[in-house]
Amino acid sequence: MGFWEEFIPLVLHGAVNTLWVLVISIPASVALAIALGSARVYGNAPIKAIATAFVVTFRGFPLVVTLFLLFFGLADLGIYLTPYQTATLAFVLCGGSYMSEYVRGAIRSIDIGQSLAARALGMTKFQELIYIILPQAIRRALPGLSNEIIYQIKYSSLAFVVGYEEIFAVSKTFISRYFMPLQVFMVDAALYLAMTTAAAYGLRALEYKLRIPGLEMSIR
Amino acid sequence: MGRGSEMVGDEIVLRVENIHKRYKDQEVLKGVTFEVRRGETKVIAGPSGAGKSTLLRCINLLTKPDKGRVWLEGVELTDPETNINKMRQKIGFVFQEFNLFHHLTALENVMIGLTKVKKLPKDVARKKAEEALLTVHITEDLWHKYPAQLSGGQKQRVAIARALAMDPVIILYDEPTSALDPQLVGEVLRVMEELARKGVTGLVVTHEIGFALEVADEILFMYGGRILERGPPREVVFSPKHEVTRKFFENITKLYGGK
Amino acid sequence: MDPVWWEYIPYILQGAIWTFTLVGGGLALGFAIGVPVAMGQKYGPTWLKAVLDAYVWFFRGTPLVVLLFLFYWGVFPVLLGIKLDALTTSIIVLGLRSGAYQSQIFRGALNSVDEGQMLAARALGMTKWQAITNIILPQALRIAIPGWTNEYAIILKDSAICFTLGVIEILTRTRYVVISTGEALGPFLFAGILYIIFTYGGTKVFNIIYEKYHIPGLVGKGV
Ligand SMILES: Nc1ncnc2c1ncn2[C@@H]1O[C@H](COP(=O)(O)OP(=O)(O)OP(=O)(O)O)[C@@H](O)[C@H]1O
Ligand SMILES: [Mg+2]
Repeated sequence: MGFWEEFIPLVLHGAVNTLWVLVISIPASVALAIALGSARVYGNAPIKAIATAFVVTFRGFPLVVTLFLLFFGLADLGIYLTPYQTATLAFVLCGGSYMSEYVRGAIRSIDIGQSLAARALGMTKFQELIYIILPQAIRRALPGLSNEIIYQIKYSSLAFVVGYEEIFAVSKTFISRYFMPLQVFMVDAALYLAMTTAAAYGLRALEYKLRIPGLEMSIR
Repeated sequence: MGRGSEMVGDEIVLRVENIHKRYKDQEVLKGVTFEVRRGETKVIAGPSGAGKSTLLRCINLLTKPDKGRVWLEGVELTDPETNINKMRQKIGFVFQEFNLFHHLTALENVMIGLTKVKKLPKDVARKKAEEALLTVHITEDLWHKYPAQLSGGQKQRVAIARALAMDPVIILYDEPTSALDPQLVGEVLRVMEELARKGVTGLVVTHEIGFALEVADEILFMYGGRILERGPPREVVFSPKHEVTRKFFENITKLYGGK
Repeated sequence: MDPVWWEYIPYILQGAIWTFTLVGGGLALGFAIGVPVAMGQKYGPTWLKAVLDAYVWFFRGTPLVVLLFLFYWGVFPVLLGIKLDALTTSIIVLGLRSGAYQSQIFRGALNSVDEGQMLAARALGMTKWQAITNIILPQALRIAIPGWTNEYAIILKDSAICFTLGVIEILTRTRYVVISTGEALGPFLFAGILYIIFTYGGTKVFNIIYEKYHIPGLVGKGV
C-alpha cells in the first residue's frame, strides 16, 4: 500500500475521534459557561467567589497543563481517567471558563429595566434569570462564544498529549513510518481549516437565525 | 372632580404609611402617607427629584423603604414574612421606558407573567393576553411583532396590557408618557383613561395636567420627599395653598398647554 | 529513594527564561508582521488584500501544534532545505501565528481611528503615507494596547505547547521532574500556578504601559 492509501483512512479515523470529543465538549462548555457566568453575576458572595476562582484557574492554566493534571495528576490521587475522558473534561473546564467571560459580560450589559420589569411581574430572581435575562444575554454572547468554539476545535489537537488518537496523534505516529511531514501536516492543517471554517459559517448562520427582529444585538 | 369617581367605593386597597427612604446622605422620602380606594385614580405630580419614582418603587418593594409600611388589600407588603413575589403579581407596574422584554413578541410579553409566574396553562394565558391587548387597542397584526418593531406608543400600550393581564389590584404608572414623542402621548393617555373609567385602580405619576383634571380623583403634590399638598385636581391645580405648588402647575401648564 | 519534586523548583523556574524568550520573540515577530499586514489589508491593493487574508486565515485556522510540526519537520528542512533548532522554529511559528492575530487587533484599532483624522491630515497637505505614519499610526498603536495585553496572555499559555519540540521551557522541565520523581500532581499544579502568576504580572505591565501612553478621552471602539 502507498502513502495516501494508508494515511487517508487513518487520518479520517483520527478526525472521527476528534469530533467525538467535540460533540460532547462544546455543548458542555457552553452549559458550564452559562452556569459560571450566571453565578458570577447572580450568585451570593461565596458562590461568586468560587465561580471566580474556578474561572481564574482554568483560564490561567495552559490547556496542556490541565490535560496533564487531569491525566497524570489525578492518577496520583487514585483517579484514573481514560484519554477520551481527560480530553473532554479538560476542554470543558478550559472552554467553559473562557466562554463564561462572554456570558458574564452579556448578562451585565442587559439594561436594568428588563430586570425591574421581571421583578415587577412577580418573578423570582431565578425566573428572571432563566426567562428574561439569559435568552437575551446568550444571544449577545454568541459572537464571543463562537470564537471560543473555534478555538476549541483547534486546541482539540492537544488531546494527543494524553494519548488520545485524534487527527494530530495519528499523523505524528504516521511520519515515523513514512517520513513525509510536509504532506502529512498539510493534510492536518486542511482538516482543521475545514472544521473551523465550517463552524464559523454554521455559527454565523445560528446567530442570524436567533437574531431578534428590529433589534441590533450583535456588537460586531 | 374626577369622573372616575362614580366607581370609587369605600374599600381601601392600598395603604402607604410613613415611608422613608434615604440614599447615602440624601433623604429622598421623608414620611409619605396616603391610601388608594378601589376604582380610584390618583395622580402624583411634583418636580424632578421630588421622590415620585422612588415612592412608586417602594410600594412594590423594587426598592426597600428604610421605614414605614405598605398594605395591599390588608396584607402588609413590608412584613418580611410576606411573599413579595406573590404580592407583586397583584401590582401592575408601567415604566417610563416601557421595559418590554426585547426577546419576546408583543403577545409573548403579555403572556410570560401568566404562564411563568401565575402558571396558567398556555391556551388560557394566550386568551387572556389577547383580551388585554385588545383592551389597549393593540390589534392582531401587531401581536407577533417584537418590541423593536413597535412605535413608542404601541410599546407602552403593550406594557400596560402586560400589567393588566395579571388582573392586578392596582396599576402603578411611572411617567408613562414622558419618553414618548408628543404625537404618541394621546393614544396612551386614552387607554389609561378608558381603564380608569372601567374601574381599574391606578396610581399615576404624570405631568399631564389634562389627564389629571379629567380622570384623577385626587392629586398628590410631592415636593422634597413629602406630600406637600393634596386634594381634588381642580383645587390643587388652580387654587393651591402653597406657592411652590402654584409655580409648579403654572410652569407645567405653560410647557404642556393644559386643557 | 526518589527525590521529592519541590527540590526541583529552581530547575523549573529556570525554564521561565526559555518561556519568555518564546513569548518575547513571538510577540515581537508577530508585531513586526501584524502591523504591516493590517496596513496592507486596509490600505493595500486588492491582490495584496487577498494574499494577506489567506495568510491570516491559514495561521488562525490551524492548530499551533500542527504548525510547529509542519515547520519543524516539513517547511524548513524539506521545502526550504534549512535546519533550524527547536527554539528558533518555535519563535518563528509563534511569531507567524501571532502576526495573524495581531493584524486583526491592529486592523480593529485602525478602523476605530475616525475618518476625519485622515481627512484633516490630508487637508493640511500631508501625503497619504505621511498621514498614516504621523497621524493614524500613533493613535491606532495606542488603541491596540489592550488587544496586545490579551495577545500576551494567549501566547504565554501557547508557549507551553512548544514542549512538543523539546524547547526546555517551563512545561518541558516540569515533565522531566514528573518523570524523575514519579509525582505528577504537585509539579503540574505548580506549573499551572506559575502561568497564572506570569499572566497577571505581564498584564499589569501592559496596563502600566497603557496608562502611560493612552490619550485621555480616546477609546477604541473595535478593540
Ligand atoms: N438608586 C439611587 N441611588 C442614589 N440616589 C437615587 C437613586 N434613585 C434615586 N435617587 C435620588 O433620589 C432622588 C429622587 O429620585 P426620584 O427618581 O424618585 O425622583 P422623581 O420625583 O421620580 O424625579 P423625576 O421627575 O426626574 O423622575 C433624586 O435626587 C435621585 O438622584
Ligand atoms: Mg421619576
